[in-house]
Formats: sequence, structure tokens, C-alpha cells
Amino acid sequence: MSQEATALRQDLRDLVKKHVPEDFLGAFTNNPDDLEVAQAFCRLLAKRGLLCMSWPEEFGGRGSSAWEQTVVREEMWAHHEPRGAQYMGVNWVGPILMRHGTLEQQRRHLPPIASGEVIWCQGFSEPEAGSDLASLRTSATRDGDGWRINGQKIWTSYATMAQWCFLLARTSRGEKKQRGLTIFLVPMSDPAITVRPIGCLMGPHHLNEVFFDDLRVTEADVLGTVDDGWSIVGDVLAFERVGIARYARCERLLQLAPEALGDRWANLPAELRGRWVRMLTHCRRARLLAYRLVALQSAGQVKPTDSAAYRIAVTKLDQDSAEVLMEIAAAAGTEPEAELFRLEVEDHWRYSQASTVSSGSIEMQRILLSRTLLAAR
Amino acid sequence: MIIDLSDEAQEFGRQAVRAFESAGGDQLVQRAEADPTTRDALAGGVLAELGVWDLEPRGDMDSLEAAAAVCRSAGYWALPYPVAERLSRPADLDVDGLLVVADNRPSGSIVGVEARWAAATLDGARHRVANSVPDGPAFVARLDLAPLDGDGAKDLALALTLPCWTLLGMLDRAMELTIAHVTMREQFGQPLSGFQGVQFQLTDGEVERAGLEVLAKYTLWSVGTGREEALDDALALRMAALEAAEVVFRVTHQLHGAVGFCDETTLSWLSRYSQPLRRLPLGVSATRDLLSTRVDRSGLVGLYS
Repeated sequence: MSQEATALRQDLRDLVKKHVPEDFLGAFTNNPDDLEVAQAFCRLLAKRGLLCMSWPEEFGGRGSSAWEQTVVREEMWAHHEPRGAQYMGVNWVGPILMRHGTLEQQRRHLPPIASGEVIWCQGFSEPEAGSDLASLRTSATRDGDGWRINGQKIWTSYATMAQWCFLLARTSRGEKKQRGLTIFLVPMSDPAITVRPIGCLMGPHHLNEVFFDDLRVTEADVLGTVDDGWSIVGDVLAFERVGIARYARCERLLQLAPEALGDRWANLPAELRGRWVRMLTHCRRARLLAYRLVALQSAGQVKPTDSAAYRIAVTKLDQDSAEVLMEIAAAAGTEPEAELFRLEVEDHWRYSQASTVSSGSIEMQRILLSRTLLAAR
Repeated sequence: MIIDLSDEAQEFGRQAVRAFESAGGDQLVQRAEADPTTRDALAGGVLAELGVWDLEPRGDMDSLEAAAAVCRSAGYWALPYPVAERLSRPADLDVDGLLVVADNRPSGSIVGVEARWAAATLDGARHRVANSVPDGPAFVARLDLAPLDGDGAKDLALALTLPCWTLLGMLDRAMELTIAHVTMREQFGQPLSGFQGVQFQLTDGEVERAGLEVLAKYTLWSVGTGREEALDDALALRMAALEAAEVVFRVTHQLHGAVGFCDETTLSWLSRYSQPLRRLPLGVSATRDLLSTRVDRSGLVGLYS
């Protein structure tokens, strides 16, 4: 990596150490202070020009390299994502608006994202449309000079705290179900929207149901072309291709384990220490697969299917390492650093349970990868 | 960041694949099994013509990458010659190659190859191979060792890394053959590749193969730049390579069905000739034990920790 990327890594670590409490386990807890930590951290990053550094200069970014963006992804995820839910606005909502939004939409939505003030949620999945997203039923029908939206979304992360929703709805029916879908940018404060949190093992705010009962939006809230929202969904997935740097948190916790256990480390069964070093090797492997993807992306050579092997490897790593870490943490003592380690590991285990399901299930990744393998023949 | 071998090394690897094919391809290992004394005659000439023995993998990065590429190509054809072991020869000994051996029952896949061998144990002790006696399938010989010195620690990383490139070539081929097989073979009126159960097994193999590929390149860089942790990196690579081989050969055998065990099928030869690479000097559990003992509390030290 470049000297700039290495220096950025150190800057970010210093900022986290100074501005994020040691026992921070993410913004999504029942303690409102945790959300405020994340909001304040986003404002701080924005002030220093670090929040949207990957954005083009014309939109207030620094046009940073793909490697600098990789460093940001790694350091944030390794430290329990102190940007909270705002990573979505930075990573893909903003860039999608730059590509598909009107000037008015860009003026309205980009500055609050860039200043670290706004949280977005993604209204894609529905009870009957998960991996088969194009089968969704939420409808938007013409109503005078605007649209009326009815339907239900589910698994919508951060809907309880979001100000805006990036909503996919059906506007017409054609031969192909991918046609007739449209993206709407809708304010979550509208009384026609009801959010019902779903209790889950990851903790609060992660999963919600969102109901739209005669939500009235205008033509100005349509993103891109009516009925052509599926192409924007493809772009969203492209921005998410490398996704969360899950390996960075796995590696940080695995490396932290001997220190957290102190003298107890030597008493661990040799077999468990063997599994520990195996997981460290798998972290290295996942990191290198991610870097290969970033290199391909930088060279403009990445194809939608290139990420599949990496995504399978990293999500399995997340779960496998969590099991090993839980076993190690069970042997930790009662010292403050050991207690904190145990809490971090517990949190990691909870998050990891969803890693093969969220943002494109592992089965979808397997289908993509096998298609590529078979087509290459 | 450079994630792949240089263009030149990759081209050298492609040339080697073509040259081994012209020399006999899949038939080479079968002929060598029938008469191990022909190993040199079957493969030595083509390796010399390619200029493999002019490479100095301990000398410079270009040579090292070319050595890795040719080892991978050798693995692709299960070339019946210890290319990686020859290329691992120590710089300071007048020998033709280096075998990394276990303390217990030191062995190497050298039956029928006339060469002056040195051997190094994983604690860095070096020996001269005084005698060798055939001791099992896949050209494995038991070695009689005469102690030389204790200077072998510096030789180990490369000598562990290059055989992993050979194994990677075997996994490349096993996957390629299996994809061809499931595309062609029909059951219940459709190609096997149409069944999701088959597709998902292929992805298990490919994730392991692709992961090994990037780790192998990283380790090559670590060895070539003389990183202090190069031996740990090489052991980590070896551990991952053995795990990958286990998954890939399990999947590829399963998807080939009974034909995969037959002598007429290349997979059968690849699979059995992968065994010495996977068991010598240490299998996966012993490699993992050794690595976790070596790194102790510090873990794997990388560029980003």
C-alpha cells in the first residue's frame, strides 16, 4: 500500500483512540449515548475531510484511491464501525445520487451526507422477496402529479433512526419482473410510514419492518427513470461489491486474544491454539482476496461475479473465527481488559450469525461463482 | 499493490505447461510409475530446455517468481520430477536440491532421480542424503542422513513454499477436469452441472483454490524480500495448502464419481501423486501445531497489524 494509505491508517487509529470510548460496541444499542458517539464521530470525520474522502472532488470529496478507501473500511469495521449507520450514505447512497440523481436531488441530499448529519436506510427486502428481490410487491401508483406508495418492507436495518429511505417499489408489471421497478427517495418522518422494530440476536436497530400506508410522494422523489430502478439496484450492488471488511475485525480480535488472556493463554488446549492460528491464516487469505478484488476494481477489470469467492470466504471466516474466539473468551479472567474482550467477542459472534445471510446470502454468492466457473469453460 | 505474478513469470508458466504437454503431458507420470528410473529421462530434458536450472530463486525476485510459476505448471501435469525440491537447493552447499524432512522417518519423493540431495529438518539442522531406499508409492524413498551443520533455518521458507506452488498447480488441474466432467456427464436427462448440489460443491473447491493462490503469492513476496517472519508465513501457506488440497480432492473425486478412481482418469493420478506433497515433511495437524508453537502469542505478523 502507498505511504498515504499507511499514514491514513494511523490517523484513523489515533482518532478512534481519542474520540471513541474503549468499550464502544457500535451505535446500535439501547444506550442513546452510543448513537451520539457515532454521530459525533461522523461530524468529526466530515470536518477533517475523512468522511467522504472517496467522493469526487466536485462533490466535496478528495477523490481518494481505492486503497485509501480500503483502509477506511478496515479500520472502521475493526473498531465496531464508529460511523454507525452513516457508512451506507457515504459508501453507496451518495455515489448513486451522483450517478443517477437530478441536480436538485444532489443539492438536497449530498451535503447532509457529506457533513455527517443524516442516516439512510435501504427499503429493498420484503416478506416475499428476499434473494428474489425482483418479486417485491410494494407498489407505487400514479396519483395526480405524484405517486402513492403502499406495501411492506422487512429486515430494514436502522429504519428506527433513519431520516431517509432508499425505497424500491413496483410501478408497473411487464414480461420480466425486473422491469417496472422504480427507486424513490422518501422521508422517514412522514406519518404514512410506520416502523416496527424486530427483536433479534444482533441487538436493537438491526432489523425492522416498515409499513407504507398511502405514502404520497412527488415526481421529484423518483430517482432515475420510472420502471428502470433495477439498473440502479445493480449499481448499488456494485458499490457494495467489496462490502464490509469483516476480516479486519476478526483479525483484530484474534490478535488481541493472547493479551486479553494474559497468563491464561499458555493454559489453553494446544488444539484451540491451533484453531486460533488457522483462523489468523484465514484472515490473511480473506484480506488478500479482498485486495485482489480492489486491484481489479482499480484497473476497471472487475466483473460482478469476481467478488463471489471473496464474499464466501470472508463470511465463513466471520462465523468460524467467532466460534474459536468464543471458546478462547470463555477462558478469559475477570480483569477489566479480559471482560472487555469477552464483550467484544460476544458482539462479534452475534454479528457473525447474519454474515452469510445479509447483503446477498452465501447461496446467492455460490450461484454467482458456479455460473462463472461453468461459463468460463 | 501487486497481487499476481509478473507478466513474465506467468508467460514462463504458460510456456512450461505447453512444453510439458508436448513432452507427454498426462502420460509422463504413468510412464514414470511403470519405471521410476526413467524420471530424469522423461522430464529432465524439457526442464533443462526451459532453462529451469538456470533460475536462482534464492537470488532475485524475478527468478523466484519464475520458479513458482514453473512449479505450478509441473503440478498441473503431475510432472514426475521433484522440480520444487531441486529449485530449493541452498545457496551455500554444493548439492542439487533440498528436501525438508521430519525428524521421524525422513523421506522424500526422489526414487529414480539421480542427484546430490541435502535435507533439512524443521529445526534447521542440515544433512547430506547418504542413501535412499524406496519406501512406498509416489516415488517416496526413506532417507539415510549424514549430519552436515545447523545452518538450515534460512533455507526452510523457500523449500516449504515452492512445493505449495506445485500443489496449487494440481488443484488448478483437478478443478479444471471436474468442471469439464460435470459439464459433459449427464444424469436424469441433464448435465451434472445443472444440479445445485453439484454447483455448490464446485464453489467449495474454488474458494479454497483461489484462497491458496493469493496466499502463495503473498508468501513468495515474504520469502523473496527476506522478511523475518518468512518461515512462519511459509508454514501458514503450507497449512492452508494442505487444507485446500483436502477440500479440492474430496470435491473433485466426489463429482467425478467412480470414474475418478480409474487409471484412465487424470484426476486419479493427480490425487495419488499429491500425497507426498501433502504428507511430507508434516501433515496438516502437525504443521498447524508447529506454527502455533512458533508464533506463540504474537500471531501472524503482517503488514497491517
